Amino acid sequence: MRILDFGHLAGAYAARLLAESGHDVVRIDAPGGDAVRRTGPFLGDAADPEQGAFHHFLNAGKRSVSLDLKSPAGWQVFLALVRTADAVVTSRPLPMDHDAAKTGLVWTDVEEEADELCAYARSGLLSLTGQRDGRPTLLGGHMIYLATGIQAAVATAAALHVLQGTGQGQRVRVSMQDCLETFVEQAMVEYTFSGTRTERRGNRGTITAISGALPCKDGHWVVSQINRPGRWEKFMEWVRDPELMADPSLASDDAQREKKDFIMDRVLAWSRQFTKSEIVEEGQRRRFPSSPVSTPLDLTQDPQLMARGYLTEEDDPRFGRIPFPRGAVARVRGQEMRPAPTLGEHNAEVLAELGYSEAERRELLETGAV
Amino acid sequence: MTANDGGPPLSGVRVLDFGHVLAAPFCTRLLADLGADVVRVESSRHPDFPWPSSYRHTDGRHASYLNTNRNKRSVAIDLKHPAGRDIARRLATAADVVVENFSAGVMSRLGLGYETLRESNPGLIFASMSGYGNSGPRRNWTSMNMNLQGCAGLMQVTGAQGDPPTAISNSWNDYIGGLHTGYAVIAALTERERTGKGLHLDMGQFECSVSMIAPLLMFSAVKQRNPDRMGNRSDRFAPQGVYRCAGQDEWCAVSVRDHVQWRALARVMEEGAADAPLASDARFAGVSGRMRHHDEIDERIEAWTGGLESADVEARLGQAGVPAARMRRVQELVEDGTPSGAYKRMAEPRVGSMLTTALPMEFSGSALPAATPAPGLGQHTREVVREWLDLSESGWAELDDEGALV
Repeated sequence: MRILDFGHLAGAYAARLLAESGHDVVRIDAPGGDAVRRTGPFLGDAADPEQGAFHHFLNAGKRSVSLDLKSPAGWQVFLALVRTADAVVTSRPLPMDHDAAKTGLVWTDVEEEADELCAYARSGLLSLTGQRDGRPTLLGGHMIYLATGIQAAVATAAALHVLQGTGQGQRVRVSMQDCLETFVEQAMVEYTFSGTRTERRGNRGTITAISGALPCKDGHWVVSQINRPGRWEKFMEWVRDPELMADPSLASDDAQREKKDFIMDRVLAWSRQFTKSEIVEEGQRRRFPSSPVSTPLDLTQDPQLMARGYLTEEDDPRFGRIPFPRGAVARVRGQEMRPAPTLGEHNAEVLAELGYSEAERRELLETGAV
Repeated sequence: MTANDGGPPLSGVRVLDFGHVLAAPFCTRLLADLGADVVRVESSRHPDFPWPSSYRHTDGRHASYLNTNRNKRSVAIDLKHPAGRDIARRLATAADVVVENFSAGVMSRLGLGYETLRESNPGLIFASMSGYGNSGPRRNWTSMNMNLQGCAGLMQVTGAQGDPPTAISNSWNDYIGGLHTGYAVIAALTERERTGKGLHLDMGQFECSVSMIAPLLMFSAVKQRNPDRMGNRSDRFAPQGVYRCAGQDEWCAVSVRDHVQWRALARVMEEGAADAPLASDARFAGVSGRMRHHDEIDERIEAWTGGLESADVEARLGQAGVPAARMRRVQELVEDGTPSGAYKRMAEPRVGSMLTTALPMEFSGSALPAATPAPGLGQHTREVVREWLDLSESGWAELDDEGALV
């Protein structure tokens, strides 16, 4: 199917996921490059619309057509594109009659918030992120836009499913503010059932007592364990902390919940003597959910991502041979993902597909409409 | 496009849900909310992990279960019993989708692996969503949400430079893995209508979460260093931050995007002050100057917000056209009601009624099903087994006699 992508960060990730499933996704770029291309950090030295890290990930697997939608000719090309499309994913309102544009079209409006930090504060999620008693913190990497984008991909895919089955198109709406508020659901459930208020806990878990990131010799590691019969005793066989072992009542859920800070402080003191890999491997051997804490740089060499083919190596004309994140869905589908297109890279190709003659194409390109 | 005259998008789709805890049950809730017939395979012999919760009903269901498993049905089958595995296999033959989040290899050991099930059901879409996926050096690793928050980079890209790893107090990775898998399942169902072919979606929750920071991974791949941790700041405009207000744990987010907003902020802060140096300070006139002196500006803003209620800060700045939002907590979302309706009330016989999460999507042409309460264990065994396996009364009695439906 063909998807037109006129999305900001969330819409662009939704459209990327559609590309990961093998759809033909055409990104409508603004002539000078849009906000996605201008989102930093940048892979090169300049804030260049060809070098944005978000552009490189979010637009991979797509074709780019740069259109001046304000020019009548550019608008006509857009309408011609819409007539060939099965779905449009947009984060900007467009002055058009969707019913008249094409029958059997899925039109997804992704309402993205301009002020990320304020949206996060309003949603309730800010109160759940950051160090305990410290300043609440935004999730990094503009990740709340991408999380909204998956919701938009789900909604669009569901409407495409209807389209394929019945030929019926429809309008879909996904709002970022709604999506963010739904991610508070666990705290909502705890509060409405018992009045318990979920707090920020730095890097310690909220649900189970044994849960959190702890320092070790060369960084941090995480242990997180739901209490099941016999697990506390097994944990003590590993940690062998005399203070924890002195209190057998800690095997119970209630005692653990009440004393979770004491427990984790004792575990913290113990784990400092190991390296990340020593303690994580031993934890896994004993079937305790344990893992390293990784940075983005660590992840570029992550053995699991490489072994599974999530990370491939690509030759980038500008940056050389680099690890390339193919995507969670592309990997499982075996879908190849082209590197992100340069601005308007597919202008001539797409115009030809739309049936424009060579002379018409030349004129559109020369007047700057395309 | 006509208004809501179609059925739910996934009506007629049968999903067999072997999920436990949250990631897979969250994924199948999404499918159920979109109209799929989701049947949970459960057993009194091996109940879902006892999730620590402030509420547990006499039937063993806890609060999170009630929210995550609404709109589904439950069959009770002992998968350790050979006859139980046989019934599960037959249900999977009648299903369009199987979703499971066991550790790698468990479904195969139960005789319910994809390779076995596809023989009798070549169109089956089988979604696995273990922590790290069913292949690779970590295929046997066990993991929970917090492990993945650390391992997939969330903790190291959140917070400011020099901060310890910083987490979010919710089940972020379960949601992210569940949404990605839900998307992949729906896309595969649509494709199957053309090809007739099913497939195995071996999703790794880890990979789903890594995708959330993949732009920064690409930055590190090229630059061979980590990106700066931004905390609450922007790399494009300043000042931006979360500022402490009067009272216990009260904060207001402020985001100044341009010069007009900067002057408006300065004007509001200096109202009634003896001197008004902020607006006229040349060091702060341009965005690069404000970024360079961000710490100093933050101190000045916080000296002002610290004496005011957060609602007051939000109102004053809002009136002046400066983007600002006080930090809301869950109790306010619940008590004031969300303007968006992120939560809605649902009849729930165990407690009368409860708030449950709405599906944050609107469809102009497809009606979504009304929420029904989470099932009791095995509540629908008989009706689902008869319906999906097309059994007569005597056929059902025979199956029930084998002692595997518990």
